[in-house]
Order: sequence, then structure tokens, then C-alpha cells
Amino acid sequence: MSLWVDKHRPKDLLKLDYHKDQAIRLKSLVQQSDFPHLLVYGPSGAGKKTRIMCLLRELYGSGAERLRQETMHFTTPSNKKIEIMTVSSNYHIEVNPTDVGIYDRVVIMDLVKNVAQTHQIDSSGQREFKVVILNEVDDLTKDAQHALRRTMEKYVATCRLILLANSISRVIPAIRSRCLTIRVPAPTEDEICSVLHTVCKKEGLSLPPELATRIAKISDRNLRRALLMCEACKVQQYPFKPDQKVPEPDWQLFIKETASMILSEQSPKKLSEVRQKLYELIIHGVPPDMIFAGLLKELVRNCDMAMKCQVASHAAMFEHRMRLGNKAIFHLEAFVAKFMAIYKKFVEESLGDAF
Amino acid sequence: MSDYPDMDEEYELMYSDELELMREVEDHSNTNPVLKKAFPAKRSLDFSSPSRPARDIINTPIHSTPVSKNIEDIQDDTRPYKRTAEELFGDIDDIDFDSIQLPSKKQKTEEENDLELINKILEKRRLRQMLNEPNIRLQADVLTNYCVKDNLSLNIPRWPFMPLTNDNGDRVYVRLESEDSWDISLDACSNGLTLHSTFASVWDEARKIFDSKEQQTTTEENENKAPEIPTNGNAELWVDKYRPSSYVDLLSEEPVNRALLYWLHLWDKIVFKKDVKIKEPQQQNKFSKRTGQFQLTNKWKGKKETEVDLDEDGRPHHKVALLCGPPGVGKTTLAHLLAKLAGYRPVELNASDERSTEAFQTALQSATLMRSVLDADKRPNCLILDEIDGAPIQTVELLVKWCTASMKKEEGKKKGKTHPLRRPVIAICNDLYATSLRPLRPISLIVTVNSVSAARLSARLSAVAKCERLSIPPRLLTALAARAQGDVRSALHVLSFCRARGKPLNIEDIENSSLGMKDCNKTMMQALQSIFTVDDNDANACLKTVQAAGEYDRLADGIFENYILARVDARMHVACETTSWLRLYDLMYSWTLRNQNYSLYGALPYCLSRCHSVLASRQPIRVKFPMQAQEMNRKKTELESIVGSVWRGSAPSVLAPRKTLTLDVIPLLPYLLSPQLRSANVQLCSESEKKSVTVCAGAMCDYGLQYVQQRGADGLYAFVLEPDVHRAAFLGNVDRVKTSPAVRQAIAQEQQLEMIRRNDQMMTKNSKKKKTKEVEKAKSEVKLPNHLQRLQPKTVEKTTPQVHKDFFGRIVPLAQAQKQGAVSDAISSSDVFYQYREGFNNAVRRNVRMRDLL
Repeated sequence: MSLWVDKHRPKDLLKLDYHKDQAIRLKSLVQQSDFPHLLVYGPSGAGKKTRIMCLLRELYGSGAERLRQETMHFTTPSNKKIEIMTVSSNYHIEVNPTDVGIYDRVVIMDLVKNVAQTHQIDSSGQREFKVVILNEVDDLTKDAQHALRRTMEKYVATCRLILLANSISRVIPAIRSRCLTIRVPAPTEDEICSVLHTVCKKEGLSLPPELATRIAKISDRNLRRALLMCEACKVQQYPFKPDQKVPEPDWQLFIKETASMILSEQSPKKLSEVRQKLYELIIHGVPPDMIFAGLLKELVRNCDMAMKCQVASHAAMFEHRMRLGNKAIFHLEAFVAKFMAIYKKFVEESLGDAF
Repeated sequence: MSDYPDMDEEYELMYSDELELMREVEDHSNTNPVLKKAFPAKRSLDFSSPSRPARDIINTPIHSTPVSKNIEDIQDDTRPYKRTAEELFGDIDDIDFDSIQLPSKKQKTEEENDLELINKILEKRRLRQMLNEPNIRLQADVLTNYCVKDNLSLNIPRWPFMPLTNDNGDRVYVRLESEDSWDISLDACSNGLTLHSTFASVWDEARKIFDSKEQQTTTEENENKAPEIPTNGNAELWVDKYRPSSYVDLLSEEPVNRALLYWLHLWDKIVFKKDVKIKEPQQQNKFSKRTGQFQLTNKWKGKKETEVDLDEDGRPHHKVALLCGPPGVGKTTLAHLLAKLAGYRPVELNASDERSTEAFQTALQSATLMRSVLDADKRPNCLILDEIDGAPIQTVELLVKWCTASMKKEEGKKKGKTHPLRRPVIAICNDLYATSLRPLRPISLIVTVNSVSAARLSARLSAVAKCERLSIPPRLLTALAARAQGDVRSALHVLSFCRARGKPLNIEDIENSSLGMKDCNKTMMQALQSIFTVDDNDANACLKTVQAAGEYDRLADGIFENYILARVDARMHVACETTSWLRLYDLMYSWTLRNQNYSLYGALPYCLSRCHSVLASRQPIRVKFPMQAQEMNRKKTELESIVGSVWRGSAPSVLAPRKTLTLDVIPLLPYLLSPQLRSANVQLCSESEKKSVTVCAGAMCDYGLQYVQQRGADGLYAFVLEPDVHRAAFLGNVDRVKTSPAVRQAIAQEQQLEMIRRNDQMMTKNSKKKKTKEVEKAKSEVKLPNHLQRLQPKTVEKTTPQVHKDFFGRIVPLAQAQKQGAVSDAISSSDVFYQYREGFNNAVRRNVRMRDLL
């Protein structure tokens, strides 16, 4: 009896709830018992991993679902011991190289080589290749990505790579061109609603459509989050009420709160309060770019069109600089200060016009 | 009245100690009787002492001045007259100033004596300072009027005099001129003055006249000694040349000197086999009684009081004196001079010598246990360990072991090789709190030598300049002294550099150039403070401080944490500007780190000091040490470890990348794990509630969560979620969505059951597989053809009727045994038997499946 997200995860390509034509194409791709390297990308909670697992099941049968966790050890050239957790079945291995930070190159080189160099002993009745799934490819360092591109070509006979990414903008073109790129768009709100309804039906619950649309809206088109929120609603209160409070991830609320603080008053004192909030967000592992995005989204609501452009361009610039730098808090606060300056000027001018 | 000495005797008595000292010093040199020679420091066990030019006038205690008559008179009034011969002609080490005037105990108290003594020293010093000041060139004046006949005498003369003794033991009496002679000399040259002129102009006039006179003399002397000067300048550093050669020449503070000298005297008992006077218990008590009166001078006295004791061997408690202070203030000089004064031969061991433990051991032994055979002087050694903070820690530990070794004979016999320390050891360091000195600190007498005050330093510089016949305006010397920040050595080097350059120095040279500027390192906080305060004198001061401080990263954090309150900033322009510089800094710094290319590193301080132009204000601001960034990192890793443990603990089927775990799953988990139950007892709940509890337990199993019993602060046990998802999920108030303890307990129970169930499932899965395999095996075995089958020995069953025995081996009647039969049969049919030494026992074990119990 696990959570709905895990329990009702489709296991067959044909049973997927949305992007069905894509599923059919994937199925036909696999039916030829071979496929090129894949680069699957799309926002988080769109169902990338689900599709890949379905694909593997299609390819290898139910054996691909028998997963085990293993910790692998590597030694970097500088003799530092690192370890990384992998999830594997007999037919594939899944790894998240960004877990080891800047040593991801070592992991990719060693692990992929290891897997690729071992041929299947008994190839009859099995595929002659194994599958390596790499998560969060867009967060790989450039070194690691370059290490990957040669490996991909060299061991194509014995191993297929499935790369998962949120966006391919940070994947080097060399890798992009070596893969078949598959985009998994986030489900629309309607699709999320229908998924929620089917899940509730399976659970024997009745979900009011208003609540479903509200959940879908809040979930930010993230199906995982939508399902979790729906279940949380159920745990909090059942039978459902249409105007029920939907629990949201706390950090989202926190960002909204911070944005309203910024809008309420523009002063150095407020800035120092905002800084504490930003610190808190960073401490809780919210990626700074998401803080940027969340703040911008909230702040822009109160701006007129000209100011919107200005603020957005500043946000973009600051976010870009932040990626080049190390201290995210400097850039976040710089953005907040800049916005405060712009907004204050705007407010004063509009007040001046009024008189 | 026969007890009281006459005037001449009195002089001798008064200065007996100093005379003694002088004699001692002069033993090693061949100077003329009037001018005393500087005593060179011995740097090693090498005994060749280079001879020195006799014109180091600065180093001689100057008594042939008219002013000193005054003190003499004062001293006359207060002089105690009764003395014993023994005290008058003390031992070689007897230069302790206390002995200059031994008290007739009723007339004078200890304190008065001491006070007077210190006053005397200070007075002497002031005198010399006065004399050495460039604007009172009396000495030159005296020199011009110098006439041997009038001023020197071998017999006791009628005029006021100062007795001096040369190395042959001949006594010479030098004339002391009265104060009037000064006035006379002034009068002589003030012909052109009228009452109209102001004091300043008169003074200037006088100074001019003096200057011209002096120049005259210098040119004269230059003519005489012209060839000598350059060779001298090259041969020797000025620092060595003008090294203080007598106690009064020392630039370090009086209490410091006294403390060290006193400590050296404590060794007298064991080194010279002679009792140390000061430690008579009576006097000690007197000290302690009257400490209250010694507000001004009791700095060293307080120390004396507490640390006066010797240990049972007659050695002082502190076996080592640890001199510490900034470089260039004269620690080494002080150590050498005082060691010499106390009658030792200083043996120096410094960073240039090898300081491995073996080398150090030999050096220690040779210095403290042996004495020089070749050299004529039979003084005991005093080991001076210079720059000990740079020594390896093993060496310091060896020293500590050496020092703490007891002197007891039995122990010495047992160990054979341990020789206790019998000579004073002075260690010198810059950084008292260096890690290698940690073992040494508790056992040593710590004497801190502070940097020399600018006034004293400039006086000394002017004296040196005069000696070298450098004409440098006093203003410049003051600037130089201020620049040197109490570092005598660097100031002297600068002076000597000026001399070598040959060009006259001007004030800009000193102020603006890096001449004489020390490679000072500032602390991060100083740099931070300088960023936030306006410096009117130097526009670039902030940049310099930042560069000196290093630690740019910490500094950037510091600016970031302090800038908000620095200035009034209604329109947020200051904040924007500051953060833009900080952002630039961040970009450059991370670029540098990423590419390992340090070409931009030099530009980092500019970024930071640009913040100064935005942030600096006149009102003082209390800058805080940057802690937030570190604190943030600490908390972040803490929470990351929570997420990490959830991530590691989660089952492979639900495993999601860490990012999604932090952003999506964990924030919602607390809601999912808090089912609403109407009653705490699960048995009483409705079906749907029970289901929600099981779902909850299942989720916990999936993500590796557990309720753990923990003892709270109030001593009660409470169920705590482990890992603490709540902390990772919620920002701010953590205890928001928490279930009641009863529900938690119910969930915990259910979760444990769920765990067992899952394990059981795994087991059955495996066993099913095994079973199928076994069946296959059995089939294959059956398939075997007859000729390949091996015959198995058949076990013959025992036909003897089974006899039931009880515990004691008695035979139990059958009827009784059969009563238990039902159970025993079930047991005997089970798979497992335990074989003991005799017979079988089947009362132990059988397979019970978990699912049967659930």
C-alpha cells in the first residue's frame, strides 16, 4: 500500500494517460528490438521516467521491474574515494551522476565503460545490449558531457544510453545530435484532472471536479505534485469538499510570502528581512533559479507592461550571472534590491502624477 | 660618624655595581677609558668578538654632562650610608639595581627604594634622551670646548667628577660640568639677540648657531675619519652597530626588562651557588602587604610576588622565559644583554641552525651541561632559542621534557641519561599562540615585549643619525618612527638606506613611498572596518588594507552582511550599487576558481574597495563578523543530509532524483503521514480509517521513514519521525502538521507490521523460486538412467519401542506419555533436530511463518 503516485503509475506504454500517440510511436520503436540512444526531456513531473520504465518493460519483459539498489565505488584520479547509488535490474542500470558533484566525469567514464564492456554471456532470448539511464544530464559538467559523447559512439554495440533532462539547452549539441530526442511536455490541466479522476475512481473515492481543477492549477502542471496533493487532501479530509484547502509545498508559499513582502515596502530594513527569507529558501534546497522564477512570477503581477519588461530582463540577467557565480544569495538580493529601486521609483512617479 | 663613608667613598659605593659592570664589559674590549665600547652579541659558540670603533658615543652611559650633577645632588640627600664591604663589592652578577643602595631597613621601605630606583633609571634615560635630541646639541658644544687637562684627572679632583675605571684597573675621574656652563655657552653665542624677538625666534637663532657649530665640528671630524666611514657602513648593519650595550640603553619598557632580569637572577642559586637575596620570605611578605601603594610601578612587582618561589632544586618554577612580541622591538637584544648582565655567556640557537630533534638535543646538551674550554672566560652558558615559534613541534616537546625533568638523584640514576636543566633558557618568539608553543607555554615565564613608542624610537633614531652625521630634520624622524610602528630594526634599516642613497631624505619619501613600510597584514575585521569608514588622509587606504588583509571571500561576505545598515538608502541606490560590485566580485572569483586562472585575482580587491566609495560614512558603524554564510552552509548541509537519508532509504521502485524529492515529495509527505483518526485505538476505527493508516505505513516503508521512540526533555518517551521530514519540508514553524502521539504510535505499529509483511513477501518469493528449482532438480534426478544412479544406504529404523523418559531419566509410564502425545507427534514430525551428545532431542524448533502470526 504505497502512495498513489507509485501505486497507480502505468506500467505499459499503452496504458499511459496522455501523449498517447507518442506512446504508440515509442512502442513501434521498441518493437524492432533495437533503438538509438535517447535523450528524453521535459519538465519535472511530466512522466519521462514512467515512459522509460514502460519502454524497458516492453523491451525486456517484467524482469526490468525487479529493481535493486547498489552503491558503487569509484576512485578519482586525485585518489578521492567517491560512492554513488545506482538502481539496476538485470537489464539496465540507472544512475544520477550529479550526485557526486564535480566528479561526475569519473562516474560516467567508469560506469558506462564497465557496463558497456561486459557483453551478455547468453545473448539468446535477450537483447544484446544493456541500457544505461542517466538522470539530470543537463546538470552535468561540461567535462562529463564531453566524456559522454565519445563513449556513446564507442560502445554503441553493447549499450544504449537513455539520457533524462529537464531542458536540452544545457546539453551540448554534440550529445544532442547523437541521440534521438524525445520531448515529454507537461500534461495540460485537463489531462491532470482526468488522471486525478481515474486514480480516485480506482481508489473508490469521488472527487469533485472543482477540487480537481484547483489541484491541477496549483500543481503547476506537475503530475507528481498533483497526485501527491490530491492524496494529501484525501488524508486531511474525506469526503472531499470543493472548497477544501489544498496543501501546497511550503517553499512555494514561502516564495509568495517573500514577494508580497517586497511589494509591501521598499527599504533597506525590508531588504534585510527578505534576505533572511532567501537564506531560508536556499537552506531548504530550493534551487536559486526556481526562487528567481517564483519571485519574478509573483512580482510581475503588480507591474505595468513597461516595467514588466524591465524587471524580466533584469531577472534574466541576474539569473544568468548567478549561474556563472558561486554565491547565489548575492545575486538574489541584487535582484530584489534592483526591483525595489525600480518599483519605488515607479510608485513615486505615479503618486507624483496623481497630484 | 666613622661608619659613614666620605664623599669619594660614597661615589664608589653608589656606583659600585655599575663600575663592576663596566669593568666586566671592558674586560673584553680594548677601548680607551672614557669611551666605552659596544659589546657584540655572540651568535653562537664562536668566541671571536669583533672589535668595535671607539666612537660609538651613543652607547656609552653619559655622565660627563652638566645636568647629571643635579641628580647626583638629589641622590645625595636620600642616600643611605651604612653598608657592608661584601655588598659593596658583589659578585659578577651583582648588578641588580636593588643593590645599588641597600637599605638600612629602618630608614627606607622597600617600595621607596624601588620607586627611587626606577625614578633614577627613568631620570637617566630622560637625560640621555634630552642630550640626544637634535635641537639640544650640548654634547657637540662640550666637545668643542674639550680640554683634557681640565677635565680628566687621575687623582680625586676638587671639581665635581665621575669616576671611571679602565681594564688595567686605573681609575680616571672625569669632570662633571655644572648647569651654569650650559647657560654660559648659550650666552656666549647670543650676542645678536634682543628682547624684541620672541622665544621661538630666539630658539631658532640658537639652533642655527648650534647647527653651524656642529657642522663645523663634523667637517673637522669628517676630515679626520673620512676613509673610515664607508668601510664601516658596509661591514656592519646599523642594527648591530647601535645595539644597546648597557641596561640604560634598552628601548624596551622598564617592567619588561626588570621581569626578565629578575628571572635570570633566580638562577643564581643553582648556577653560581649563591643565595638569591630577594626571595627572603620576610621581604616577600612586606611586598604583599603593601601592594596597594604601588599603583604606578607594581607591574612587575605583582609578578615578582607570585612567582618568586624556587622549586625544591633551587631552580625557578619557570624553567624557560618566553619572550614574545612583534618583530624588530629588540627581543633578541634584550635577551643577550640581560644574559650578559646577569653573568652568563649567551649562546644563541636560531632558525638558521638546524632544529631537528637530534641537532637540538646536542645543542641543548652542549649549551647547558658543558662550558667552553677554549675561551678564556669561564662564564656559564645561557641558551637563547631565537624564533622558536618556527621550530618543529617535536623540538619544542623535547625542550619541554628537558625542562620539566626533575633534579632528584634517584631518578637521574634510574634513567641514566636524563640531565636536568641547570642553566637558564630564554626562548624568543613572535607569535605566542603558535600551535607548536602550546606545550611550552604553561611551563614558561611569559614576558611580552611591546613595540617601542614612537617618541622613544624617534629619539633613538635622531641619536643614531647624529652619530652617523646624517642631518635629518626631526619632523622626518618622527614620521619615520610613526611609520615603523615600533619596529626599531626597520626604522634603522630605512635610515641606513637613506645614508647609502646619499640623497637627502624629504618627508614625501617617507610618507608616500613604501620605504620602511612593513609587510603588515591586517585582519579581516580591520579591512571590513576600513571599508565602512571614511579615511580623509589617504584615499587608497581602504584598498591597501583590503589587499593586506587577503581573505577576500570572507570580506565579501562581511560587506554583504553589513552594508544594509551602513548608509541611509531610501531609494535603494546604495544597495543596487553595492550588490553590483559584489556580484562582479563573485563572477570573477568563481571564474578564477573554475579555470584555475589567477590572472584576474589581482582585481578582486578593487571590486571590494569600490564598495568603500559607496558605503563609507563618517558615523561609526559596528561591523559584525560575517557568520551568516557559514551558518547557512551548516544548516543547508544538515537539511541536505535529511533529504539524503530519505533518498537512500527509499525503495528502488519509488526512487526519484533528489531534486524532485526535495521539491515535490518531501514537502507533501508530512500531510500524507498525518491521517485523521477519530479515536486513537486503531481497532475502533472505521474501515476507511484503518486503510488510511496502512497507506500511511506503506508510504513510510517506501521512503524508509520510521517512528523512533525518543526520550524527551521532560523524561517522557515520544515517537519521533526519523529522518525528520518535517524539518526539511517546512520553512519557519516546523511543528505544523503533526499527529497526536496516540496516532503516531498506531502508525508506528502498523509500519512495523508492514515491514515484516514486506520482508515475508520477499522471503516467500525467494523460497518459491527455490522450490521450483528443487522440483526441477528432482525431476532431473528422476530422469537419470539406472546405471548412473548411485545406491544410497538405506537407514534402518529402530524397531525397539520408544521408551519415554522424564528429565531424570526415569521411565515414564506409557499412558502418561500418550497424554502429551498429540503435541510431541507434531514436534517429532518437524524438520529440525538438534543432536546432543547422546540421543536426539526434538523439542526445539519448527518453522513458523510470519504471516501465520499477522
